[in-house]
Amino acid sequence: MTRNAMMDEWYPVGLVSQLDAHGRSTALMGEPIEVKRGDDGTATVARSDGRHLPVCIRYGHVWSSLGDPQKPLFAIPEADQPGRRLVDVGVVRVRCSPLRAVENFLDIAHFPFVHTDILGSEPHTEVQNYKVEIREDEDEVWATQVRFYQPQAAKSAEGGITTEYMYRVPAPTCSILYKTCPPRPGEWDVITLFVQPLAEDLCDVWPWMALFDDETPMTDLIHFQQTIFVQDRSILENQIPGLLPLDPGMEIPTRADLTSVAYRRWLKRHGYTYGAQLVAQ
Amino acid sequence: MPAQSPAGRVALWRGRSGRVSAFADRCPHRGMRLSHGFVRGETLSCIYHGWGYAQAGNCVRIPAHPALTPPETVRVATQHVEDGGGIIWISAGEPTGGPPRFEGLAPVRSMTVEAGIVALEEATGTSIAGGLLDYTNADTSVRLLLAPESPARTLMHVLIDEDSNPDERITASRAAEALRRAAEHIERGGTGR
Ligand code: FES
Ligand SMILES: [Fe+2]
Repeated sequence: MTRNAMMDEWYPVGLVSQLDAHGRSTALMGEPIEVKRGDDGTATVARSDGRHLPVCIRYGHVWSSLGDPQKPLFAIPEADQPGRRLVDVGVVRVRCSPLRAVENFLDIAHFPFVHTDILGSEPHTEVQNYKVEIREDEDEVWATQVRFYQPQAAKSAEGGITTEYMYRVPAPTCSILYKTCPPRPGEWDVITLFVQPLAEDLCDVWPWMALFDDETPMTDLIHFQQTIFVQDRSILENQIPGLLPLDPGMEIPTRADLTSVAYRRWLKRHGYTYGAQLVAQ
Repeated sequence: MPAQSPAGRVALWRGRSGRVSAFADRCPHRGMRLSHGFVRGETLSCIYHGWGYAQAGNCVRIPAHPALTPPETVRVATQHVEDGGGIIWISAGEPTGGPPRFEGLAPVRSMTVEAGIVALEEATGTSIAGGLLDYTNADTSVRLLLAPESPARTLMHVLIDEDSNPDERITASRAAEALRRAAEHIERGGTGR
C-alpha cells in the first residue's frame, strides 16, 4: 500500500478539558493510540509501541498525526475574537467514512428532511444558487452565498429566518461553517466539524463552536448540536457504498451538491483517499 | 420496509392505492437506503434529500430544485412484485407466470428465524414438499413458506387452513414461535427437538 497523503494531517483525538493522567485509549487511522496528560502537565499522544506522536493544542481539542505534518494546524481567526463563547460539544461516534461525515456537514438540501422543523422544513426546500471555489492560495474548498430558510436556525433564533452560510474545508476531515448570527448582524457564528478517523468506516465526530450568545445555557447549546448530529448519524450509517465514491458514476449530483462535488475533486487531487473509494463498483 | 431478494436488498412499499412496489434499496442521488424513506400518495421519497420516485422507479421530484423536471435517466431499479393470496412475491428476473398459489391456506404472520432451512427441517422432522414445510405441535398444524435471507437466516411465512377461527390463528402463531426457538437452538449447535 502506498503511503496515504492523509497520514501527515492533524486530527482531533480528544478534548483538552477532559485530558487526565489516566489517559484515553482511542485510535487514529487504524492505529491504537493513548492520549493523556504527562507528568509536566502537557498533553502526550503515544502509539501502543510507546512511540510519541506530534501534539498540538487548539480549538478546545488535542490534535495529533501518525505522520509528519508539514504545516501548522489551519487557522480559525474567529476563535480568538473577544466576546465569543467557545463550546466543546463532545463526541459522537458514527459508523461511517470520515469523509462521508464531512460531506454531510457541507450539505444543506437535507435540512427539511433530516433536521425537520429545526434547520429546515417543507415546503421551504429549494436550494438557491451559491458560489463554490477551491481557493488555490489557501488550498481550501469554500462555498459562499449559501442561503436557506430555517424554522429555528440556532438556539438564539426565535422563529423562522433565511439564514446565510459559508462553508470552508481546510483539511480533509475538518470543516468550518460560518452562519448568520441573529443577535449580532455583521458577525458570523462559527460551528466546526472536526472528524477523527478511527478507521476507513468508523469515526468520532467532535463538533466545536465559537458563538456570540451570552444567554443560552451551555447545556442547551451542547444539547442542540448533539441532537443535530444524532439525526445525521441515522443517515450516515445507511449510505451505500460506505466509502465516499470519488469517481463520478455511482451518484447523481445536482446544482445543490456543488460543494460536495468540489470537496470530492479536491480530495482526489491531493490523494486524500482514506475513507474513499476510487473505482465505481 | 426493507426486504431481501436474490437480487439484493429491496425497499418494499405500498402506495395509497394499495399497490405494492419493490425498489433496489439504494437512492441513486447519494446512496441512502430507500427503505428508510416515506410514502406519500403513490410516491416513495428518500429520507435524505426527499427525492421522490413513482412506482415505475422514475424520479418525479427533487425538492432542492422544485421547478426542475427530473430527467428520465434518474431512476431506481425495480423488481416485479405480485400480491398472491395475501403473500407478496418478488421475482428476480422477468416472471414467466404468476406466483404459486396455496389453495385453502391463508397467511397468519411472517417472522425472521436466525437459522437456515436445514435446521428448520430438522426441527420439524420433515422436509419441504410442494414448496411448503409442515409442522405439527400438539394438535396444531401449520404450513411454512420459507425464504432464505442468508445461510443462517430465514424469513418464515406461517400459513394455516383458511377456515381457522381467531383462537386457532393465535395457537398457530405460538406454534410457529416454538418452532423458531427449536430451529435457532439447532442452528447454534444444539441437538434434537
Ligand atoms: S440520497 Fe436520496 S435524495 Fe439524496
Ligand atoms: Fe445534517
